[in-house]
Amino acid sequence: MTMFKRNLLASLSAALLLGQTAIAQEVDVDALIQQAEKAAYYAGDDGRADARMLIVDAQGRKQMRQFTILRKDVEDNGDQKMMVFFSRPTDVKDTVFRVEKHASNDVDDDRWLYLPALDLVKRISAGDKRTSFVGSHFFYEDVSGRAVAQDNFTLQEETDDKYVLKATPKQPDSVEFDHYIVHIDKATSLPVLINFFKADGTHYRRVETVTVEEVQGFPTVLRSKVSDLASGGYTLMEFRNTQYNIDLPDDVFSERSLRTPPMKWIQ
Amino acid sequence: MVTVWSLVSCSEMKKISHGIVGFSTQKPLWVYALLLLIAVGAGSQIPRIQIDTDPENMLSEDHPSRVFHNQTKQDFAMHDAIVVGVVNDGGDGVYTQAALSDIHALTDDILAIDGVIDADVMSVSTVDNISQEGVGTIRFEWMMPRPPASEQEAQQIRQNIERLPLFYDTLVAKNAKAAAIYVPIADKNESYRIAEEIRSATQTLTGNNTWYITGLPVAEDQFGFEMFVQMGISAPLAGLTIFILLFLFFRNLPLITAPMVVAMATVIVTMGLLIGFGFTVHIMSSMIAIFLMPIAVVDSVHILSEFSDRYKPGESASKTITKVVEHLFTPMLYTSVTSSIGFFSLMLTPIPPVQIFGAYVGFGILFAFVVTITFIPAYISRMSDSALIKLQATLHEGSSNGSRVARIARGLGHIANHYRGALLLTFGAVFMVSVWGITQIQINDNPVRWFKSDHEIRVADRVLNENFAGTYNAYLVLTDERDLPEINTLMPDADVPPSLQMWVSEVKAELTSEPANEQIQGLIMAIDDKLFEVGSDEEMAYLDAVMAKADAAQSAMKTFQSPEVLAYIERMQNYLNTTGKVGKSNSLADVVKVVNRELRSGDDKDYALPDSGAAVAQTLLQYQSSHRPNDLWHFVTPDYRSSLIWLQLTSGDNQDMTDVVSLVESYIDSHPLPEGLSADWAGKAYLNVVWQDNMVAGMLDSLMSAFVIVFIMMVLLFRSFIYGALAMLPLTITITFIYGLIGIVGKDYDMPIAVLSALTLGLSVDFAIHFLERARATFRETGDVAKTMDEMFAEPASAITRNALVIALGFTPLLFAPLVPYITVGVFLASIMAISALVTLLVLPASMTLLRRWVFVPSK
Repeated sequence: MTMFKRNLLASLSAALLLGQTAIAQEVDVDALIQQAEKAAYYAGDDGRADARMLIVDAQGRKQMRQFTILRKDVEDNGDQKMMVFFSRPTDVKDTVFRVEKHASNDVDDDRWLYLPALDLVKRISAGDKRTSFVGSHFFYEDVSGRAVAQDNFTLQEETDDKYVLKATPKQPDSVEFDHYIVHIDKATSLPVLINFFKADGTHYRRVETVTVEEVQGFPTVLRSKVSDLASGGYTLMEFRNTQYNIDLPDDVFSERSLRTPPMKWIQ
Repeated sequence: MVTVWSLVSCSEMKKISHGIVGFSTQKPLWVYALLLLIAVGAGSQIPRIQIDTDPENMLSEDHPSRVFHNQTKQDFAMHDAIVVGVVNDGGDGVYTQAALSDIHALTDDILAIDGVIDADVMSVSTVDNISQEGVGTIRFEWMMPRPPASEQEAQQIRQNIERLPLFYDTLVAKNAKAAAIYVPIADKNESYRIAEEIRSATQTLTGNNTWYITGLPVAEDQFGFEMFVQMGISAPLAGLTIFILLFLFFRNLPLITAPMVVAMATVIVTMGLLIGFGFTVHIMSSMIAIFLMPIAVVDSVHILSEFSDRYKPGESASKTITKVVEHLFTPMLYTSVTSSIGFFSLMLTPIPPVQIFGAYVGFGILFAFVVTITFIPAYISRMSDSALIKLQATLHEGSSNGSRVARIARGLGHIANHYRGALLLTFGAVFMVSVWGITQIQINDNPVRWFKSDHEIRVADRVLNENFAGTYNAYLVLTDERDLPEINTLMPDADVPPSLQMWVSEVKAELTSEPANEQIQGLIMAIDDKLFEVGSDEEMAYLDAVMAKADAAQSAMKTFQSPEVLAYIERMQNYLNTTGKVGKSNSLADVVKVVNRELRSGDDKDYALPDSGAAVAQTLLQYQSSHRPNDLWHFVTPDYRSSLIWLQLTSGDNQDMTDVVSLVESYIDSHPLPEGLSADWAGKAYLNVVWQDNMVAGMLDSLMSAFVIVFIMMVLLFRSFIYGALAMLPLTITITFIYGLIGIVGKDYDMPIAVLSALTLGLSVDFAIHFLERARATFRETGDVAKTMDEMFAEPASAITRNALVIALGFTPLLFAPLVPYITVGVFLASIMAISALVTLLVLPASMTLLRRWVFVPSK
């Protein structure tokens, strides 16, 4: 996806917005979230980043995790391959997650796990994606991306620089939230703030973008934060060395890479 | 009724007394106004009452065990929890579609309640299941994301629970008949509201299950409520009892109003001051009213008795009362001081609520004395002549009750004077048996047993502990005490390349503000950041070298990732399981073993600890990839340098906890802890043991010191060693007898019983003082031992009996109190007072006659 394509898309939606009346609003919302999904999870055709998480509990006690993420899109807003290689703390070094994300609501993601100290490759049955990502306040789904097809969106507010949308899950049984409110930045199309609510209106969780910079022309989240508003704990995630369109070969995303990490791409 | 006091003739005392009574009779309205002012002033503080029901407060706030307990609660993110239990006696127990659906529905309701810490609620529907799904596939999911759709699904949940040792016998009982929901709450002062909301939620459930709500916060709340009930019912009843007794003795309403005013004023001022000075009302201080009322009227009884005896119609009431008080001043002062010493001695016990109780009752007794010698003369000086004549007439008629008391006293005198040898032998034998009985005393307590056995808290406690591994928690906390590696040793100044010196000193300065256990992690991040900027090979090499050292140090710090350390924990748990004292124990080792099993084959053979620290770390990384990542931190701190073994006990008896503590101690003695580790206890069950130990030791101190002080006072009062010794004799026999009886009948020596020992000493010595002094005075008049003893059992013995009745019966309303400690106090004080009066009247005459050569020295 090039800059040109993205801008074209943006102006197309703008045109749609201007030319359409109330009925067309749904179309507009749909395009909006598609675009946001693309900006957040499908920038470029592939990419890499070094990530560091700082998990801070309610008492302020900190733990650090470092890993490298490699990603390759099968198609935009569609299937995606992902590898997560842990480097720190050293006792979990070389632990690897492999994910084959399927955009369709009917097909579960495929997930594998490699634990070097146990010399073990294990497939993880989909179960639930809203579980903690390695003890942090991020969920697996926050890392891999919650498919926009899973929720119904309605536009709540539009300001000069953002759209505010309310999302309600199509399968309420499968998630812990009742709904969430997402703020999408008009300039970058990135979701910059997501607030999660329980059925009784309790605002219990916040996902926010702290720093965004352009990398190779893509607005890129460099720091983000997830807060557990009930306990006061939070996790900061920092990305470095982000690169797009690096032509990651397919075999990097194979089972073989679990035991023999592709050093070229993760250092 | 004659109560002639011809004690130590101390002119100083007489002067003081004369001055006070003189003022009181001349300016009675001033006395009234002053008393009213004090009572209203202190009483105005009473509405600020703060109830304290937390057993933790039996230890002072800075007591090391309490500090450690609270540190442990914080380190392991633990909260006080309400426990909801559900019991179903059907064939499948709680594993039915209906019962599990109810549990699911109730859990949802609980999660919606404000003040509940949702993330830590433990219920079948809020925990995760780890299971195998075909070869090489593991599945993480909610144990019960929605109510089971069929009985088959309910059975599947049973299979899943039974595979997970952390839940089996904790969330659902082994016999399947009971399940539990643990509801941690942020503020235990909210427990009543939350428990009530849970209770009303259970009422909307349709299944035929029985629900129980308990847990320490609920128990404490209930306790506070029952305390108010006690104060609202028992204290007024005690007042009524005393009023009726006084009426029976004096038959004159205006007259007995005076001692009632003394009692009321004493109670109001004492409680007002206690509350005004910011002390909370604990179970002990809630009994202050009931203690003070009978004690406060005793002096008045003496004054009124002697006044009505001496007063002749036509005389000045003021003059008579002045003489009477002068006469009684010293003995009343002494009995008040000895009584208050018994209570003040409680301040030697290192238990704050007991100290406060002792201090304020001690104060109250002295205050009552002051009020008695000022207010009673003032009151009598204002009584009308007609009222005084009526009083005379009534008393001199002699009521039927009075003669009944007198008959009893005479009967006792007959026994005392005719069976001296037999009496002394009997009491000697009883004393010996009692001493043996004391050696049999079982020291034990359990705050849950402070409720009556049919109280809903006791019922819930019983049912849940019958079904589960135990609802009483103790935590054995293991901590690595070794020093952490210092940043300076990882980055010696000498090695730093010149171009990095500035950066190094900045990093060091920054890291010193971090907690010690996070400094190396901070260093690693700082180096990691720096590695992006540096250019030169020298810098790279230096940073890489430090990084390698820091990484190694960081891994080495994580003591509780070590398989050897976990294996030690595992062995200790295995040992604890064989002792029969621990229902179940849970630890980090269990967590690691379960996840290891599921990561590998799911078969029992893999229910084992992996073989390296990294393997443990990776196992735990998976455990944390759940819906409840923070459950891990209830077992180990994030720096992996402190870990706990959670012991579930089916009994909250201190005795059982003490056994567990000594079992663990001996295990550690024979199986030393891994190097650098220390072990310590936390948990309410353990704290109870600590304060109980403190109390037993403290009570011995206070009993001994009260004994010595009272003995010295007696020697001074009587100016005679032998009289001092005789004064201590009845109470020594009584206290020994009562505590021997406790040992023999197997009643646990618990909080109320411990507290009673010292204070009864101060109260029961009063009878002996009266008896000895009267006997000495009578002997001076008669010069004949036998005659003296005969006369002693006329009026003096009646007076003693009457006062014993006031105090003993004054405490009986405690028998109607809703909480067991109150009843214990009521029964014990009533029987100690009654027995010590009896022993005084039986043993003293016999001993005095036996020792007459030294006791009755003819006056020159």
